[in-house]
Amino acid sequence: MSARRGGNTIRGPQSALTDFLAANNISARQIRDDYTRRRQLPGEGEDAGEGPSNQAVEQDGDEALAVAAQAEEDEKKTNKRKRSEKDAIENIKKAKSAKTGKGNAKKAAKKKAKKEDPDLDDSDDEDFEVNYKKAKPAPGQFEHCDICSKRFTVTPYSKEGPDGGLLCTPCGKDLMKDLKKEEKALQPKTIGRKRRKVESERLDGVATGGAKTLVQMCLQRVAQHHDDVEELGDLPPKLLERLSEIFSKKRVMKSKTLPLFLRPDLDSVVVHDAAYLEEDDYHQIFAVVPNIKKLVLSNTCQLKDKSMDYMLDRCHNLRHISLYAANLVSEEMWHRLFQKAGSKLEVIKLKWLDAAFEDEAVRDMVQCCPNLERLKLKLCRRLGQDSVDYIAQLPALKHLSLQISQQVSNDTLINLIEQRGSNLETLSLEKFMDADDAVLEAIHDTCTHLTKLRLSENDTITDSAFAALFTAWPNPPLTFADFNSTRDVDNNNPTGPEEAIGLGTAGFAALMAHSGASLKHLDIASCRFIALSAFLDVFNGAQSYPALEYINLSFCNQVDTSVVAGIFTSCPGLKRVVAFGCFDVRDVVVPGGIALIGIPTAQDAIEQFGVGIGVEEAIGRMVEVGA
Amino acid sequence: MAASPDYVTLVSSDDFTFVVQRSSACISPAVKRMLDPLNGFLEAKTNTVRFDNISGMVLEKVCEYFYYNEKNEGARDVTDIDFPTELCLELLMAADYLDV
Repeated sequence: MSARRGGNTIRGPQSALTDFLAANNISARQIRDDYTRRRQLPGEGEDAGEGPSNQAVEQDGDEALAVAAQAEEDEKKTNKRKRSEKDAIENIKKAKSAKTGKGNAKKAAKKKAKKEDPDLDDSDDEDFEVNYKKAKPAPGQFEHCDICSKRFTVTPYSKEGPDGGLLCTPCGKDLMKDLKKEEKALQPKTIGRKRRKVESERLDGVATGGAKTLVQMCLQRVAQHHDDVEELGDLPPKLLERLSEIFSKKRVMKSKTLPLFLRPDLDSVVVHDAAYLEEDDYHQIFAVVPNIKKLVLSNTCQLKDKSMDYMLDRCHNLRHISLYAANLVSEEMWHRLFQKAGSKLEVIKLKWLDAAFEDEAVRDMVQCCPNLERLKLKLCRRLGQDSVDYIAQLPALKHLSLQISQQVSNDTLINLIEQRGSNLETLSLEKFMDADDAVLEAIHDTCTHLTKLRLSENDTITDSAFAALFTAWPNPPLTFADFNSTRDVDNNNPTGPEEAIGLGTAGFAALMAHSGASLKHLDIASCRFIALSAFLDVFNGAQSYPALEYINLSFCNQVDTSVVAGIFTSCPGLKRVVAFGCFDVRDVVVPGGIALIGIPTAQDAIEQFGVGIGVEEAIGRMVEVGA
Repeated sequence: MAASPDYVTLVSSDDFTFVVQRSSACISPAVKRMLDPLNGFLEAKTNTVRFDNISGMVLEKVCEYFYYNEKNEGARDVTDIDFPTELCLELLMAADYLDV
């Protein structure tokens, strides 16, 4: 234990002011002593009356004390301490005036009048004096709030108000919130962040160049203030859907905001992010919108049997069901769903079902849903080959999209295509790694109404099979073609096998020859065995592809700048070009209205937007740069 | 008065009139069609369009948007127009009606 010199280590309770003054090396007693001493020198002229108890007398006495105190201050203290002491005095004064507000109106008025100039303030001293007795209360004691004058218990966390007194907890919280907001407003937002936001919005499909639409801006504002929106009024359904998309994107689709989108007259409910919705919310959906025809719920992790039951009881008009990640729904419930509502169902889209939904459920579905036109089953882990066989029996099927993780034999696929191909308008087979040339042959022979064809992630089908598909194919030109990641994957053989696998030179040429006229969306990402010559032939500037709006050339590393220039020239309606991993493309000048995404240049952004220059000018500039 | 005068009048439901340039107003396809002389609408003859479903405050912001849009045509990195949040939903409905 350290021995303290001076003997007397026991100190009684001290007022906060004394503590403060002591901390700044100001001795209150010394000031008083000096004052009394000085008072005695000039004699009369100042009234005696130090008595702190009587406030009326205090004032005069305080005046004198103030003068003395001020003199002392001026002499002894540095500027800093003066200021801090002035602040202390201000604080005390405010605290005091708050307390004695009702007591002495005149004095308070006088104080207020002199608030600005503490140097001349005669009432300073009064507080100074009085605060000897009643300083800032210690924690545990009662105090009146500066702002709302309510009584509250002082804690170590009590915030100080602008007038110097303490605030009750709610007022303190508000004050902190305001301060925080001010701070945030003062922070300069970096230019980089703003530009990034602008570009990100452009990628979301908002117009390139020029101002945003008023609708867009209003939607953003509503989404920004989602907390304060009480009701959405009479918004037309299309706007309501767009708004629900934005809410889902910002992850604010919760129990509180969901009712905004539910109206009895609606016939569709689209919630792209239902992760926060619970049982009651689902019940609310089905209760408020009983005539629902289209139900789209993505990320419906909390959808359970009970809610499905509720839905089946109330909603008898369901035509379109799209449930992604509804993993708490049991197998029996799926059966019940198809049995009860199946007769009217036209669209079923199910993704991400890991726990339940077996082949038998698909069998039930096929049996109970004769009107099914659109079917999408992706990433349902328990489905296998049998499901495909069952699906082959759906009479009205027009749009089929499958991604099945288990093995599916080629014969099954061929059977499916032969059975249903003639009616199919959309066929999407993703990640059927072992599908072979015979499948393409079947498509060639059977499908005559296809507009959208996707066959991706496959390493068996050969280039010649692709070429054969598009040669002399009675099917009219496609509008959507996606053959991404059809290539041989073998690390030991980077240049690919002799006989090209996947969409290659011949296949690509045949595809564009067949469908070039009406193709809107082309995806050939990772088809790296398409030769440069093929690209140049197809996009040679003379040929025109009027409908092409989107093209994805990512990881076709044979692509270079001239190909991109050719694309700009050949595709008058072009909107987006995605070209990640095309390292030979450099120094592209993008014409107006087109977004070029993925060209790696250190200086520019990953997205380059052409603004205001025409295609010829852009190409001209590119040639200059290249030369 | 010329056959197709440069300025047109837009009237709100509470009888506020706004005189704006024809080119700006025709940013809205709806207004453009209403003012097209070929269609023979009353609005085209009088060069005035009355909006019974849009209030004065909202219509004022809409006119401001017309000019803002025309001014920033084809510009890059345009800052957004400022508008009070309270007006937001009505403005949204008006914007959707005018397809702008």
